[in-house]
Amino acid sequence: MTEARLVEDLLAFIAAGEADEEAFNRMALAVFAHQFETNAPYRRFATQRARTLRTVKSWRDVPAVPISAFKDLTLSGRPPEECPYVFMTSGTTKGVRGKSHHPTLAVYDRSMTVNFRRRFMANPYGGDFERLRMGILFPTEQAMPNSSLAHYLALARSEFGTAESRYFVSDAGLDVDGAIEALSRAEETGEPYALLGASFSVVHLMDALAERGRSFALPAGSRILDTGGFKGQSREMAAEEFYSRLSATFGVPRRLCINMYGMTELSTQFYDDGNETCPSVKSGPHWIRSRVINPLTGQEVPRGSVGVLVHHDLAHFNCASAILTEDAGVEVEGGFQLLGRADGADAKGCSMAVEDFLKAARAS
Amino acid sequence: MERAGHLPGLSADAVDWRTLTFRRGAETLDVAVPVLSEAQIAELATRVRTNARTYLRSRTVAEIAATIDRAVARLLDRDDPWRQKAERLLPLVTGYDAEMVRLGLTGYLKTFRGPELRKFIAEDFANPAVLDDFQPMPKGGFARAFGPELLLHVWAGNVPGLPLWSLISGLLVKAGTVGKLPSAEPLFAGWFAQILAEIDPELAGCIAIVWWKGGDEAAERAWLGRADTVVAYGGNDALEAIRARVPITTRFLPYGHKISFGMVARSALDAGKAGAAARQAAYDVARYDQQGCYSPQTFFVERGGRVSPREFAGYLAHELGALGSKFPRRPLSMGEAGSVASWRNAEETKGFADPSRALLGDPAGSWAVAYTDAADGLSPCGLNRTVTVVAVDRLADAVPGLAPYRAFLQTVGIAAAPEELFALAGALGAVGATRLCALGRMTAPEAGWHHDGRFNLLDLVTMTEIEGSAERAAESFAPYTD
Repeated sequence: MTEARLVEDLLAFIAAGEADEEAFNRMALAVFAHQFETNAPYRRFATQRARTLRTVKSWRDVPAVPISAFKDLTLSGRPPEECPYVFMTSGTTKGVRGKSHHPTLAVYDRSMTVNFRRRFMANPYGGDFERLRMGILFPTEQAMPNSSLAHYLALARSEFGTAESRYFVSDAGLDVDGAIEALSRAEETGEPYALLGASFSVVHLMDALAERGRSFALPAGSRILDTGGFKGQSREMAAEEFYSRLSATFGVPRRLCINMYGMTELSTQFYDDGNETCPSVKSGPHWIRSRVINPLTGQEVPRGSVGVLVHHDLAHFNCASAILTEDAGVEVEGGFQLLGRADGADAKGCSMAVEDFLKAARAS
Repeated sequence: MERAGHLPGLSADAVDWRTLTFRRGAETLDVAVPVLSEAQIAELATRVRTNARTYLRSRTVAEIAATIDRAVARLLDRDDPWRQKAERLLPLVTGYDAEMVRLGLTGYLKTFRGPELRKFIAEDFANPAVLDDFQPMPKGGFARAFGPELLLHVWAGNVPGLPLWSLISGLLVKAGTVGKLPSAEPLFAGWFAQILAEIDPELAGCIAIVWWKGGDEAAERAWLGRADTVVAYGGNDALEAIRARVPITTRFLPYGHKISFGMVARSALDAGKAGAAARQAAYDVARYDQQGCYSPQTFFVERGGRVSPREFAGYLAHELGALGSKFPRRPLSMGEAGSVASWRNAEETKGFADPSRALLGDPAGSWAVAYTDAADGLSPCGLNRTVTVVAVDRLADAVPGLAPYRAFLQTVGIAAAPEELFALAGALGAVGATRLCALGRMTAPEAGWHHDGRFNLLDLVTMTEIEGSAERAAESFAPYTD
């Protein structure tokens, strides 16, 4: 199947609005075949695990690529030089950044917009908002051309934001005055407002507002989207504390404080339905499915047990649709809960672990 | 419910207790750890300090060592109730295989028998009597070594019995002792204090074994501000946080996380010896699932022997498999399993780019050996029985690459002929390694070992000197002076 045909099929798949097991399977096998045929490193990876076009019968058989492999391997069906869009991880630990190549963003953008409308633009008082005035706590796409989050937020603004929507993060840092002005204006006009951005930037804004003794009561229907965790860029906050402060600072009920869970290695995002209780339940649209596995054996854990998340994102067609994350999670009714990173931060001994070693090596 | 700690003079009813729950399979154990108020901390610190001043100072080192020896003897006696309790509960708390704990305890405790304690002392003091009284000094005058009146140990980790090392070192210099239990193994240190209390209640009155939640700033400050000397174990971040709270006038002795490795020379790689070397290496890897700072994470193996480095990796894999059935690995947390998996995945991925690499492991993921022909340096593995074998032309070739990690190197397990051993020792010491031992002995340092190259006892004391001038001047004031 040609890439153009696959893209067409995927857009139709997304447009279909739902997919049962059989439909998902059919599409997943087509995407796997495309990746197996066009991507030599992925083919080697799959073959080593004895997963070939002949042996893979279900989407669950498609071998999941560990996200660390995106750092070492070029996982792209199209030669990288033919891919105008390259999203890179922030590469905080090893200095090497994982890359996802996109020959086109047609599928990525459709995946984002269809899902975003459904999960973020719903009006609790009926219908959907077509557009909302947005404040974005993240740099622009121009400032960070390799950031999938910058692209995501730019898309949110162009497709769902009003003309007055604006960014509050630039080279000059966080524009606290600008944010205060926009938030005050929303309070005055009673027009629902949406604040979107990186979790750590939200913390920075809350700290800056607290310093000035400011808080807001945004109009009914206003909402907040945070994503990405703190990544050492702000102090760590427990989810419970984060959302209660968020709600108190902006006057937005916790059920409209929505967390988006996305990754550079995916083309689809997960959302929760607010954070009234933490940890919230995350779920995605019908073109992405998740499994919870024991990372050592690769076997699925019994439902309700903690494991590591594997995501199968059909929209990530040019790279590897099935990825093994380093996120711990548990399957629950309606989706999964994220339980932090499965990275040995809880090691008990005095033996040096990888993360510490790398940190030490960088320092010396 | 098992009560942890040792709080001389405080009644258990007056203290708040918090429960730590440990699970292993279907078994659970609740351990109550004490949570002290600021007033109780002050009271306990004063009591320990006073008792140490009046009682410990009046005992000779030999008497103290004899008491420790009796306590250790009870823990070595498999019919003793304390020993039986340790064998029953420590596997439950730490998750380690019961037989591994049993063997490990015996091997470890043997290093604290009477004669071994004398080695501890002799390692640091040419004349141990200097701990009891003023002794003549070669330079003239007299000197006596005083331990701190209040020595605070902040312990960490889950290797059973580890706190004993510094606890005993402190007692040998007559230090009033407060130890903070590690949350991952909160029992052993308290038991030891209680055994001492059965043998010599007054001595046990000079020891408090306490607990606070790691990072509890109020409790930490209260204790740190009251100690003369602080010995602390943990990762560098944790140590940094502690150091920031230690008063500048307090001596601070940090023991951070370390990395250790092995070296196998071609002289150890003939058909008869390579198997034994691999068996010993595997034992070092498996013991306490590589949680110790002395546990090897990489083996450098020399090319040119009868058995190639690649074959040695195979031997090592075979031995790890065998040890896995004899001493199964403890159940891993999801985080630990994630570390192992991501290390394995990364090794596997590297193999796509470099076919000389190999990853040997069992499908259940209970151990793994990565092999590389490339000139890789030292690198941490995923722990919990994962290890890298790096082939080198000459062992000495591996040494320059170690230099960046000077601050983190500790034990090197070596299988090499005498001349090679001493040649390597010079090079390894120069880049920061502090302990060279035989393969198979990496996780069992000998008595009197200079932990991380430091002095167990000497680092704790201050010397009080009577200079020759004072002695001579005193003569002029003597009643018999002319």
